[in-house]
Amino acid sequence: MRFITCSLCLALYWNASAQAADPPAELPDELDALSLADKAPTETAQPAQNWRVFVEGAIGRNELRDAAPRVNTQRLSIDLRFDARLAPGLRAVLSDRVDLAHSNGVPPAENVNTLREAYLSWAPGDHQVIDLGRVNVRNGAAMGFNPTDWFKENALRSVVTPDPAVLRENRQGTVVLQGQQLWRSGALTATFSPELARAPDPDAFALDAGATNPSNRWLLAGSYKFSNAVNPQLLIYGGADTPTQLGLNVSALAGDAVVVFGEFSAGKGRSLVAQALGLAETESQQQRAAAGLTYTTGFNLSFTAEAQYNSAAPDRSQWDALDPVARLGVLTTADALQDLPVRRAWFFHATWKDLLLRRLDLSAFVRLDSETDSRDQWLEARYHWDHADLSVQWQGFSGDSGSVFGSIPQRQAVEVALRYYF
Amino acid sequence: MSELAHPMKSTFALRAVALALWLGLAATTHAAPDAQDILAASDAVRNPARPFAVTVTLLEFRNTRQTDANTLAVISKADPGSGQYRSLIRIVAPQRDANKLMLKNGNDLWFFDPASQASIRLSPQQRLLGQASNGDVVTVNLAKDYKAELTGEEELTDGERVMRRAYKLDLAAVSPDVTYHRVEMWVNTTSSWPIKARFFAESGHLLKTAYYRKFQPQLGRERPTEVVIIDGLDPAWVTVMRYSDYAWREVPDAWFQRDYLPRFKPE
Repeated sequence: MRFITCSLCLALYWNASAQAADPPAELPDELDALSLADKAPTETAQPAQNWRVFVEGAIGRNELRDAAPRVNTQRLSIDLRFDARLAPGLRAVLSDRVDLAHSNGVPPAENVNTLREAYLSWAPGDHQVIDLGRVNVRNGAAMGFNPTDWFKENALRSVVTPDPAVLRENRQGTVVLQGQQLWRSGALTATFSPELARAPDPDAFALDAGATNPSNRWLLAGSYKFSNAVNPQLLIYGGADTPTQLGLNVSALAGDAVVVFGEFSAGKGRSLVAQALGLAETESQQQRAAAGLTYTTGFNLSFTAEAQYNSAAPDRSQWDALDPVARLGVLTTADALQDLPVRRAWFFHATWKDLLLRRLDLSAFVRLDSETDSRDQWLEARYHWDHADLSVQWQGFSGDSGSVFGSIPQRQAVEVALRYYF
Repeated sequence: MSELAHPMKSTFALRAVALALWLGLAATTHAAPDAQDILAASDAVRNPARPFAVTVTLLEFRNTRQTDANTLAVISKADPGSGQYRSLIRIVAPQRDANKLMLKNGNDLWFFDPASQASIRLSPQQRLLGQASNGDVVTVNLAKDYKAELTGEEELTDGERVMRRAYKLDLAAVSPDVTYHRVEMWVNTTSSWPIKARFFAESGHLLKTAYYRKFQPQLGRERPTEVVIIDGLDPAWVTVMRYSDYAWREVPDAWFQRDYLPRFKPE
């Protein structure tokens, strides 16, 4: 945390200094800009490609809390996305990623293939669309915790970064049949996710339908645009083994630089502790919520503050009553379900594009557990060329030994990655 | 004589009527033209009257060195209610951002990444395209959002370095959904072509200067196919926006909403 704060302060100072620096001795004339434009390259724009492929190599080091030796990791990832029109009104999407990993840890890292999406989309008219196949069905207005993103549960097979945006991308979609009807100011989407297998399949190249389609489930999502500023989304979700849940997503502008957002879900369910420890427990009403704002400065630094709540997660006294093994079980379950592991938390996120120099982006977040005062922190610096990215990321968990993030065996991890786009 | 006098009277009367008409016409010609009409005529030069598609290429320069390039495919359609344009913007290049989408409807701005299926509302201040604001790359009917005042006529150098006579307009925002608080604009007195514009923040400082140039026949009339944007603080920061592949493109109104973004796959 101190490291992130210092880095941000240093960067803020440096940027402010750069902006306040003396102008060049001789300012270019406006007509010089026109001369520059005259000489600008004039090649014709190429149409967008239907596919995107990149290869990423990474080396990293994990430091554990106990006296265990540090774990060195190596990873090679191949990431493919194909999205094309096969015929008028017919579209095919394929999205897949292979992570070939090696480490000297126990257990060692494993190779994993993640079939993220594979579906056909058919538009019989301008106002109707039908999808069939594995689709990354994603809802939610918040950034760090998405109570209405129900299909996120058990969707992660390989985690290469804790960046919430990447976690939403690098996950398995659920196999669905879904249709959407559009009106001028509204839309209704109906999704059916059938039961395909009851248990997850850990095999490296498994389709793993047991993780994404363990039971028959359905989702109705409707939105109506009352005005440019107000466009809420109402959701109803349920299934054979899933009590009906209600959800709401709203976001609005508050001036030129601020977006406020809120996300809420409610419905019956078991507590996280009961799910993690396999306890018999009657389902009770649970509520999950995330609300916050994103502020963007004039120099392209976006800062998000988000309050998070999960009635199904343990509060301080419930957490303190758990033994260390049970705590780890709760954290593992929350990780798999991508649920908030504590009753109340804060999430702060910052992204600064073109920090100090062009093409250098800095991203950071802090998850602050309000129950036991522990923290999960992440920082990434990324420099990008036309076809390549070089990134360095660091993640650290801090807090007392009995706290939420202090119970995670890992203390910190660092990774350097080079990505090349073809 | 009388026979002659009659035609003479008639000729005199005709001349008197012609003179009166000419004087009246002259008076009309020299009356101050309506500033809002000038602005609307200038809008009509930039903006096709029907829904259309265009490719926008942005080349960014710092100290004469090219530092960035983006290509966007834009579909724009005027809202029948407000008259303002709504735009669907698809990133074509660079490859890492290809097929990401933006939906702009006034200040209502959504960003969609097909990889994560995430639709995120953006504030006007969040810039995705370097120096150019998200509003710069799409069509805007200035006459709908600004109250124009004619402050005079000036001779100035246009984007082709030719001296032109221009109306100078001072535009004050009347809608909260605008990117710039105040705009100074120069419009060619004879052709209504926009020549130059200076965009100001609410604080009064100059944000950027734009030159409209390379007028070519596109979708029925001469339109600017290049805009050169010069940063207000750093004149060595220049963005060249080029417009190509103009085409009429009819799309349903229902496509201009957040929930359609995951489905949008243009031909």
